[in-house]
Amino acid sequence: MKLTRRTMLGGTAASALATLTAPNFAWADSHGGMASIHTHINTLIAQYAGTAGDMPNASVKALYDRDGFRDYLEIYPTGELVDGFVWEPGMGAEFEGPYSKLAIKAPFTDYIPLAEGEVLNPDKTYRIGFVFHGFNHPWLVSLADTVAWEAARHPNIELEVIDAEFDDNRMGQVIDTWITKQFDGILLWPSREAPMGPPVDRAIQAGIPVVSLDRRTSSSSISSEVLGNFYANGLQQGLYLKEVATGGNMVLNRKDLGSTADSIRTGAFLEVIGHEAGFEVAGNYHTNSQRSMAFDATADALQASDSFDISFNTGGEEALGALGAIQEADRMESGDSGKIIILANDDAKEILAKIKAGEIDMVAPYTPLIGDIGLRALVGHIGAVEGMNEAPPKLILTPNLPMVTREKMTIEGIETLTPDEWPYAYGPVVSEA
Amino acid sequence: MIRQKLTQKVLDLPKTDLARVGVLIALLLLGAVLSPGYLSVGNMRIILLSVAGIGIVAYGMTLVVISGEIDLSVAGIAVLSGMVGAALLPSGSAVLVISATLATGICVGFINGILTSVIGIPSLITTLAMLGIARSLANILSGGQAAYPDAMPEYLWFGSGTLFGLATPIALLLIIGLCTIVLTQYSAFGRALYATGGNSRAAVLSGIPVKAVKITVFMISGFLAAMMGMLESARLSYINPAAFAGVELEVLAVTVLGGAALAGGSGSILGTLVAALIIGVVNNLLNQLGVSIYVQQVVTALVILAVVLPGLRSRIFAK
Repeated sequence: MKLTRRTMLGGTAASALATLTAPNFAWADSHGGMASIHTHINTLIAQYAGTAGDMPNASVKALYDRDGFRDYLEIYPTGELVDGFVWEPGMGAEFEGPYSKLAIKAPFTDYIPLAEGEVLNPDKTYRIGFVFHGFNHPWLVSLADTVAWEAARHPNIELEVIDAEFDDNRMGQVIDTWITKQFDGILLWPSREAPMGPPVDRAIQAGIPVVSLDRRTSSSSISSEVLGNFYANGLQQGLYLKEVATGGNMVLNRKDLGSTADSIRTGAFLEVIGHEAGFEVAGNYHTNSQRSMAFDATADALQASDSFDISFNTGGEEALGALGAIQEADRMESGDSGKIIILANDDAKEILAKIKAGEIDMVAPYTPLIGDIGLRALVGHIGAVEGMNEAPPKLILTPNLPMVTREKMTIEGIETLTPDEWPYAYGPVVSEA
Repeated sequence: MIRQKLTQKVLDLPKTDLARVGVLIALLLLGAVLSPGYLSVGNMRIILLSVAGIGIVAYGMTLVVISGEIDLSVAGIAVLSGMVGAALLPSGSAVLVISATLATGICVGFINGILTSVIGIPSLITTLAMLGIARSLANILSGGQAAYPDAMPEYLWFGSGTLFGLATPIALLLIIGLCTIVLTQYSAFGRALYATGGNSRAAVLSGIPVKAVKITVFMISGFLAAMMGMLESARLSYINPAAFAGVELEVLAVTVLGGAALAGGSGSILGTLVAALIIGVVNNLLNQLGVSIYVQQVVTALVILAVVLPGLRSRIFAK
C-alpha cells in the first residue's frame, strides 16, 4: 500500500468511525429528540464538507489543497452525543476551581451523569491518576479543575494529579508507575498523539482502564476518548465572516503545523469561506499559540499591506496578539467594512471582555471544562471491569457550542450568544474596556 | 573638524562591527527591493519595537559574556520578576509594582553572582539551575494564572508609551545601549570588565576586584532581564507565567552574533545592537514575504552562521 498522509491518518479514522456505532452508555438519562445546536452544527459541517471540492475561491482553495486540510477533516469524528444527550445554554454546575481558585461554571456536568457520593463499591477506595501538562496554562489548569472537582464529589475516589510539564517521556513514566502501583484507572491529557500510545497500551494490557481528554493518543485499545469540537469552531468562524463581509484580505495566525487544532479549525473555516469569491489569503503564519509571535507577525503583515481586512486566529492567544498589533499600529478602523474583523477561538474571559468592548468580533468557544466527563467515563469503565455496569462508548464527543458575538445574531440557523449569556468562560477575570 | 572626529570614531570601530553594519545595510536594501515600503518610518519602528526587548536583555548578556561567564537564567528572571510585580498589582501602586519587578531582577542577578564568583559554581550550572528555580517560583507565586496590568497606565507606559518622542521600548533600547557603551568603553569598570574576561588571574594580580565585577554584571543582567519582562508584558497588557520560553538561547544567539566570544574578554554593545537589528530585519522581511516560521528559523540560523563564521576564522588564524 502506498504510504500517504491520507492512508496514515486513515488508520486512526477507521477506529474512530467504528466506535461511532458503539452501543450507548447505559447509565445516562435520555433526552428529548428536538434538533439541538449540536445536531444543527453537524448538519452544517456535513453540508460544507460535501461541497469542499467545488470551492470557487482560487486563493482559499490553493491554501486548502496545499495543506491537505480535507485529509484531516475527513477523519475528524463528528457525530451524536452519548445516549442522545442534548446540551442547552445554562446547564452545568458552579464551583470554585480547586487549583485555580477561580469561579467556574462547567457546561457539561449533566453529561454522562454520576450521582454525588460513593461510586461503584462503597467499601472500596478507587485510586485514579490524572496526568497532564501545564499547571501554568490557564486552559489546562481549568481542565484539571474539573477533574479534581468531580473526584472530590466522590469520597471513595483518591485522585493523584501529576504535571508532566510537556515532557512525553515523563508522562510515560508516570503512567508506568501507576501501572506498577495497580491504580484503578488513568486519565490523561496527551500533548502529542504518537508517544502516548505505548504507555496507554501497557495500562490497558494490565487491566487498567484509560481515558484521554481533548487530544488523542495513538493507542487503538484506549478505553475512551473525550473529544472537543474543533470542527464546529472553524465552521462558525467561517459562517460569521460570510455573514458580515463579502470579501477582503485575510491574515491567518495559525497554531503549530499539523496540530489537530490547526488542521481542523483552519480547514473548516476555509471550507466555508472558499465558497465566496471575495476573500483573499494575504498572509498565513504559524504563530504556535504564542501571543508575542502573533503580535509580531500581525505587526509585520500590517506593514506589508495597506489593505488588511480580516484577522483569522486558530486560538485565543493568537487573536489577542493580533489585536494588540492592530491597536498599536492604530489600524483598527482600516478594514474594508470600517473595522478589521478579528475572529477568535477559545472562550477565555479575556477574549469575552474584548468582544464586549467591540474589539474582537466573535469567538467560537472551546471549553477546557470537560475533565469531569472524563472522570465519570473512567468510573464507568472501572465499573465495567468489575462487572457492575456496561462500559461507556469509546468515543465520547462533547457538545458543539454556539459562537459568542457582541450582539445577538442568527447565522444559518445558529443563534449566537452574547458575552453576558456565556457563563462558561475560563481564566482570570479582566477589567472590561 | 567634527566630521574628521566622526570619521576617526567610525574607523576606530572593530572591523567585525563594521562588517555587521554592512550586513544590516545590505539586508535593509534587499528588503527595499523585495517589499515596497520596507524602508518606511512605520516599518523601521516595527522592527525596532520587535527587537527592543531582546536587545535590552542582550546588552546584559554581553556584559556577562565579556566577563567570561554566561547567564542562562534571563528568561526565568523575566518571568519571576513579572509575577512578583503582578502579585502587587492589587495594591494599585505603580511605584511599588515597578520597583519590585526591577528589584527582583537585581536580587536574582546578585544571587547568580554570589554563587558563581564567591562560591565558585560555574555560571553555566548556576544560571541553568536559576532558570528552573525562577520559572517554578513564578508558577507557585501566580498559581499558573496570568495577570493583567490594564488598570495601571504607568506600567503600560513601558510597552506603549513614548519617551523623547519615541516609543518607550525603542527609547529604552537606545538609552540603555548608550549607557552600556559608556560603561564598557569609557569607564574604569569597562576596562576591569574586559580584563576580568580576558585573563581573570592576571586581572586579580593587577588588583582588579574580579568577584565584584562579576557580581555587578550579573546584577545588571538580572535588572535588564526584569526590564525586558516588564516591557514585553506591558506591550501585550499581559503578565504570563509561561512566557519567554527559550528566550535565553535567542539572547545568547544575538550576543554571539554581535561578536562576543563565549571564552570572555571580547564583545561590544554596539555589535549586540546591530546583531539584534539584523535578526529583527530578517524576521520582519520574511514575515512580510509570507515565509513560514519554520523556514524563518532556518534562515535566521544561517544568517547567524554566515555573520559569525568570518570572525571565528580570523580568531583561529590569529592563534
